[in-house]
Amino acid sequence: MTRLFNDPADFREELIEGFVAAYGRLVKRVPNASGVMAIDSPQPGKVSVVVGGGSGHYPAFCGYVGPGLAAAAVMGNVFAAPSAEQVHRVTKAVASDAGVLYCYGNYSGDVLNFDMAELRCQDEGIDVRTVRVTDDVASAPRGQEEDRRGIAGDFFVFKIAGAAAARGDALDEVERLARKANDHTRSFGVAFGGCTLPGQSAPLFTVEPGRMELGLGVHGEPGIQSSHMRPAREVADLLLDTLLTDAPSDAGSTVAVLLNGLGSTQYEEMFVLYKDINRRLLAEGLTPYKPIVNEMVTSLDMAGCSLTLCWLDDELTALLDAPCASAAYTNI
Amino acid sequence: MSSPEVATTIVRRWLALALETINAHEDELGQLDAAAGDGDHGATMVRGLRAAVATVEKADGSAGHLLAAAGAAFADAAGGASGALVGALLSTTGRTLADDPCDTPSVAKALQAGLTMVKRLGKAQPGDKTLIDALQPFVDALAAQPVDQSLAAAWRAALPAARQGAEATGAMVARRGRSAKLGERSLGHPDPGATSIVYLLQAMNDALGASGA
Repeated sequence: MTRLFNDPADFREELIEGFVAAYGRLVKRVPNASGVMAIDSPQPGKVSVVVGGGSGHYPAFCGYVGPGLAAAAVMGNVFAAPSAEQVHRVTKAVASDAGVLYCYGNYSGDVLNFDMAELRCQDEGIDVRTVRVTDDVASAPRGQEEDRRGIAGDFFVFKIAGAAAARGDALDEVERLARKANDHTRSFGVAFGGCTLPGQSAPLFTVEPGRMELGLGVHGEPGIQSSHMRPAREVADLLLDTLLTDAPSDAGSTVAVLLNGLGSTQYEEMFVLYKDINRRLLAEGLTPYKPIVNEMVTSLDMAGCSLTLCWLDDELTALLDAPCASAAYTNI
Repeated sequence: MSSPEVATTIVRRWLALALETINAHEDELGQLDAAAGDGDHGATMVRGLRAAVATVEKADGSAGHLLAAAGAAFADAAGGASGALVGALLSTTGRTLADDPCDTPSVAKALQAGLTMVKRLGKAQPGDKTLIDALQPFVDALAAQPVDQSLAAAWRAALPAARQGAEATGAMVARRGRSAKLGERSLGHPDPGATSIVYLLQAMNDALGASGA
């Protein structure tokens, strides 16, 4: 249930105002646009990474704006992609001479609107590239990776792209590294309860007591399969069985790990689950690298969690370790 | 249609009726969307139409210009795939119509251009379970009406094709858009986008009928 709002129609605008009021030390409002930009953006000679998508996923997407991470986030209404007009305005505000990289989860609404904005920016002489995040293994089979949707893997791709941009890499290189990060990232999730849009009285979907949905989306899209509820250790195995089967062909033995809460799953439950995830990773001969157990891409008040693995090499590890500051993630 | 003034009145009336209709069906559209998507289709359409209505109240110019302005406002306020596609449908139809008279052949041609733009942007074809499954049969049926038929009569005659097209999406499996990820789960529910298009076309039918055009 979403309880705190005034007019549901103003939800996005009011959350942007409040976010900027709270985190003005890191971000500022993009004038006349639904988005926020880093206080140090744009920087001459440095690529600006622009992320975005619907609201309802905090800290995606505004929580990742700040030095060393995204230059800006374009914010749509709850679960709706931002319009091409808003993407264009935000791009104009942060475009530097080094160009712009769009980075967002692969959903048809986001693709349509970011693509339209990209064409318009290119007509105006701004070099814009796009890397779509496609980490959710539940959304399309192997061999059709480019059709998959983006969920919590957004975080690793944004972090790596932002670090490459901050270090001064050229646009070609930032694009290559973001793509490489995406190619090495896989996620799979489970849901125990639905989420409710602001102003609505009923959830988008429900999960029957004692059951769980596998392969859910982060917009309340139902899962691909339903199962009886299982103990945490079996859920850990289920998540890892799915991800390890889908490991990239050049997978190494070090993985960045994100156990992501979807909005109303208790942190301590997630630590219980992480204990078993950690055990299983080690048993598989994998080394978890600086694991994160946190809410990084949520779905309003959905109950559930997802597990993301990003198979690392030296190049990606250095970027993951680079300093950054944002409302949701700071690394110093 | 008798005059440019009548045409602009009809565009304004149409958008007001469309908002009223979609508002009344917002929950139904949301539920259709929630079957395989994220449940916000009704809210998205209402947001877009509110902005479109506000824009045409202030805007001047021909019916074509009003439609183009309404499309831009719709796309920006609605967001998402529906916003981009319905917005592009209105904008392209309006730009194609421009200052042409709003007779049946000109409107059919303009709508055909709008449909082509929607297909190009959405990369969808008939049978993919999208708004195209309602729009394409309607545009074909409108284009098949006698050229000297009044727009109101031609529109009324073409409307059942849109309804049948939207109903037929219930038996389709989504291949485009977010619901495509759910594959078989979309089966048995008509596409919310196609359903919205029928409401929009129905509202225009009512606006045209009231004008006697």
